Amino acid sequence: MIISGQNLSKSYKSIKALDNVSVTCAAGEIVGVVGANGSGKSTLFKILLKVMKPDSGTVTINSKRKKPIGGIIEKPALYEYLNAYGNLKIFASIQGLETNNQFFLDCLTKVGLPIDRKDPVRNFSMGMKQRLGIAIALLNNPECVILDEPFSGLDPIGITSLKNLIIDLAEKEGLAVFISSHILDELNKICHKLNVLKNGKLIHSGTTQELINESTFAFNITAPNIMSSSILKTHKASFKNNQAYVNVGTDKISELIKELHRENIHITSCVPEVNMNKMFEN
Amino acid sequence: MKNLIIAEVHKLFKQGKTYYAIGAIFLIELIILFSAYSQGQSVLDILLDNLKKSFYFEGNLLNGNLLIYLILNTLWFHLPLILIIIISGSVTSEYKDRTLLSIMLQPISKWKFILSKYIVGILFTLVIVFFLAITSFLFSYGVFGQGDLIVYLDTLNFFEASDALYRIKHAFIFGAISMVFYSIVSITIAIILEETTKTWIAAAFFLIISNILLKVNFNNYFLDNWLYVKLTDTWQYLFYFEIPWGKIYWNTSLLIVYSAVTMIVGIIIFNKKDIA
Amino acid sequence: MRHFLILFYVLCFGYISAQDIDLDIIKIQKRTDTILEFSAEVKINVDISFVNIPEKSARIEYAKNEDTKVFSEDFVLIPKKGLDISLYQLFKNPFITVDRGTETRNLKTYKLINIIPTNKKADFSIATVLIDLDNSRVNEYEINTKKDGSYIVIMNYDKPSSILPSKIEVTFEIERIRIPLKYMGKDVQVNKEEYKSNEQKTGTIFLSFNYTDLVYNSFTK
Repeated sequence: MIISGQNLSKSYKSIKALDNVSVTCAAGEIVGVVGANGSGKSTLFKILLKVMKPDSGTVTINSKRKKPIGGIIEKPALYEYLNAYGNLKIFASIQGLETNNQFFLDCLTKVGLPIDRKDPVRNFSMGMKQRLGIAIALLNNPECVILDEPFSGLDPIGITSLKNLIIDLAEKEGLAVFISSHILDELNKICHKLNVLKNGKLIHSGTTQELINESTFAFNITAPNIMSSSILKTHKASFKNNQAYVNVGTDKISELIKELHRENIHITSCVPEVNMNKMFEN
Repeated sequence: MKNLIIAEVHKLFKQGKTYYAIGAIFLIELIILFSAYSQGQSVLDILLDNLKKSFYFEGNLLNGNLLIYLILNTLWFHLPLILIIIISGSVTSEYKDRTLLSIMLQPISKWKFILSKYIVGILFTLVIVFFLAITSFLFSYGVFGQGDLIVYLDTLNFFEASDALYRIKHAFIFGAISMVFYSIVSITIAIILEETTKTWIAAAFFLIISNILLKVNFNNYFLDNWLYVKLTDTWQYLFYFEIPWGKIYWNTSLLIVYSAVTMIVGIIIFNKKDIA
Repeated sequence: MRHFLILFYVLCFGYISAQDIDLDIIKIQKRTDTILEFSAEVKINVDISFVNIPEKSARIEYAKNEDTKVFSEDFVLIPKKGLDISLYQLFKNPFITVDRGTETRNLKTYKLINIIPTNKKADFSIATVLIDLDNSRVNEYEINTKKDGSYIVIMNYDKPSSILPSKIEVTFEIERIRIPLKYMGKDVQVNKEEYKSNEQKTGTIFLSFNYTDLVYNSFTK
C-alpha cells in the first residue's frame, strides 16, 4: 500500500465536509472517487496531499522519496504568463531538481504535449493544461499521483487520450493513482477500485466491477435485428432503432445473451445501465 | 533557498505588470523633475525674500541639486504606492491563480517559500531606488547642472555642491530603508488578506495614514520617537546643517527592527495557514 | 583796488565754505582718491541666526569712481553694503560734516564725525564715522540708508600705513524669515510668538580680503 487515509474527518464551520472516510491505493492501481459536487472529493484529496489538516484521522504514505505524492486539485494551477517549458522549469528549480533542456522536453513528451510551443500557457486548451499539470505533478518522481476531476472541461477525444495516459502511468510506471469525478462513466472504464462519497460519507467501496454489478438492474443491448427478438419482448424491453433497453440484473444477463444468440440475434454491444439512485443510496 | 529566490526573480520579470510599474515610476520621476523646475524659482523667491534686502545673489540656486531635493520630498509617497502594487501582487497573484497550491504540492518548505518572497521584494525595492537615484542624478545634473543647495528646515541652510551630493546620496540610502519597510508591510498584508484588491486598499490606506501621522506633532516622547511613522522620513535629517548621525542611526535601526518583526509575523501567519 | 576787494571776498567765502567739511575727512578722502584700481580675493562668512552658510570665496574688482564688481563660481550671498572699501559710496555725493567730538574704543580715542549728504540723490540720510587720526583712515562707520535700513561697518587694518582694510565686519538689520507652512520640512517647531512678531534681528557679515593688482598714486601724509 503506497498511500492510505484512515478515518479522515473535516468540518468547515458547521458543515461536515468529510466524515470518517478511509481510502487506500497500491502501486499500479487506479482508484476512483465518485460523488456529486460538494460530496467531499476535493477535501479528501487536499488532506491526502497534505495541504490541508484533517480534524481527525491519519494519512500514511509508504514512500521514502523526496516527493512521495504529486497531484492536481480542481483545475491545474499554472503560471499563465509562462509557457509550458517555463512552468516546468520553475516548478523543477524550486524543488532543487538537477535538470537540463532534454529533461524538460522528455517531461512534455511523456504527457503528450508538443515541444515546440513557445506561447504562454494562457493560450492552451483545457486538455493541454491538464497534461501540463500532470507533468508538473510527476516532477521528482512521486510514487502516487492524485488527480481531482481531470476530465472536467475536456472533449471526448481529450478524455480518451487522458485516460490512456493515466493507464500508462499506473501500468507502465507503477504509480498509485487516485482520480475523482462526478461522472461515473468517466471512471468505471479505467479504475480498479471505486469509492462512492455522499455528503462527506463513504457509502460504497470495492472493486469497480463489484460496485457496478451491485447497482446494475438494466442493460442496453444493440443488434441489427434486435426488434425480432421474442425473449426481449417477454422481458418487456423498450426498443429504439437497433437498441433495446431491458430490465435485467447482472446475475441474469449472461443467460439472456445465450437466449438471444439462440434467436440468431447478433449482439454488437451490451452496456450495463447503472442505477444512480442505487449507487448513491446509503 | 537560492532556487526559490531565483524563481521569484524570474517570475517577477516575466510579468508585464512589472514593466508597467517601472515605466510609471520613471515617468513620475520625470514629471516631478519638470514640475519642480517650474515651481523652483517661486520656491526660491519665497525662501530668499527677506535676504534680498541685504544681499545680492551670485550663482544659480535653481540647479540639479535643488531639483533632486524637491524630487526627494515627494518621491517617498509616490514610489511606495506603486511598489506595493507589484510587491504585494507577488503574493496575491499566487492566491488568485491558485499557483500557491501547486507550489505547496511540491516538496518545499512553507516558511522558505514566503521568506523568498520577502527577500525578492526587498531586493526589488532597493534596485528600483538605486536606479531612481542614478537617473535623477543623470537627468538633473545633465540638464540643470550642479551648484549650491538651499534647504529650509527651521533655518535656511546652504550646502556647497559636493556637500549637497554627499547628503543627497545618503538621503537615497536612508529613504530606501523606509521603502523596504513599506514593501515588507505590503507582503504581510497580502498574506493576511490574500485577495488582490483588498490588499491594495489596505496597503494604500496604511501608506496614506502614515504620511498624515508623520506631520502630526504628538508632544509625547514615546510616540514622537518610537512610532514607526516618525522613523520613515529619517532622510530629512541629512539636510540639517549639522547632521545628527546618532538620531539617524537610532531611527534606522528601529525601523529595521520593525521591518524584521513585521516579516517574522508574516512568515508565522503564512506557515500556520491552510493553503487549500 | 577793486580786484583786491573781490579777491578778499572770494577768499573769505572760500574759507567759510571750507569749514563745512572736516579737514580730517578731506585728508581721508584724498588718501582714498589715490587708489586707482585693485582686485581682491574675498572670504565671506555670514552670521545670521536663521541662516547657515559655509564660508564662501569671491573675487572683487574695483576701479576708481565705479561700483565694485563681484565674481564667483559658487553661490554667494554678496552684501549690498560693506564692499565699499574705498568709501566711494560715502564720498560720492556732495556732503557736509558735523563734528561730534571723540569716542574711545579699546583704550584708543577716535574722532566722531557725521556726514550728511546735501544732494537728494544720495541713498543715505546720515552717516556717523569714527576716524583713526593717527593713521588717517576710517575705523568704523554707521550709515542710515533711505531704503535699506541702517548698518554698521567696522574696518580692521593689518598695518598702520594701510588704507585698504584686511577685514570688514558689517552688521545690519534683517527680518526673521517667514515661510508658508507648505514649504516647511521635517520637525519644524513653529514658534508662534517668533513667527508672528515683527521683531527685527541683526545679522553680521565677516569679509576678509587678500589684495592683488593694487594700483594707486603715491600720497604724502
